[in-house]
Amino acid sequence: MEKTHTPKKVFVDGPISPQFISDSIAKHQSKTNIGAHAIFLGQIRADQKEGGPVTGIEYTAYTDMAEKAFHTIREAAFARFDLVCMHIYHSLGLVPTGEVSLFVFVSSAHRRASFEALEFVVEEIKAKVPIFGKELVGEAGEYTWKENK
Amino acid sequence: MTLSILYFGMLAEATGHPSETWEVTDPLSVGQLREQLLQKYPSLRDRKFQLAVNQQVADPATPIDTNAEVALLPPFAGG
Repeated sequence: MEKTHTPKKVFVDGPISPQFISDSIAKHQSKTNIGAHAIFLGQIRADQKEGGPVTGIEYTAYTDMAEKAFHTIREAAFARFDLVCMHIYHSLGLVPTGEVSLFVFVSSAHRRASFEALEFVVEEIKAKVPIFGKELVGEAGEYTWKENK
Repeated sequence: MTLSILYFGMLAEATGHPSETWEVTDPLSVGQLREQLLQKYPSLRDRKFQLAVNQQVADPATPIDTNAEVALLPPFAGG
């Protein structure tokens, strides 16, 4: 099992494609100590605002701090749960409604560790990583700033 | 001493720029810097934000080192 984990590239430009996600799954076929994968996909919702529906979110980040925060979350997850591997990808730039902006992929020998680690990692990302989102609304160029609950 | 201040998201809009340098004569805490920022930018008063010093979220009592990088962070929206 991995003991130390070097910081990995998390940010990708624009939406995370279904092809990228399926390729990531395929890459794990050689890791035969894995018995369970858990995957979270965050998708852009067409919330109704005063000026119309949300058409997409434009993400920005304090990237240096965000990359450190992602690394800290990875290390904490490996310390708390019996994981074989973990991958986190988050979009920067514009992600249209209906497309995926967050892809968290955890793998373990047995299902329980993956289920629990997945929830932990997603909640930590929402609370601790300095990523900012401008929700684009309607056709007239209006927007609001997103805030995680 | 000179601080580097970074503004993100709605705070960059409120201040009109993404970054600036900030000259201070005496050592100060995060809370004191917050007061100075609110004086220069009254529009920040009705925005929620936290400060990070050298990429760590910091509470008001935290002292700010010489040449620190201070960031004003609006609510997070990852996911």
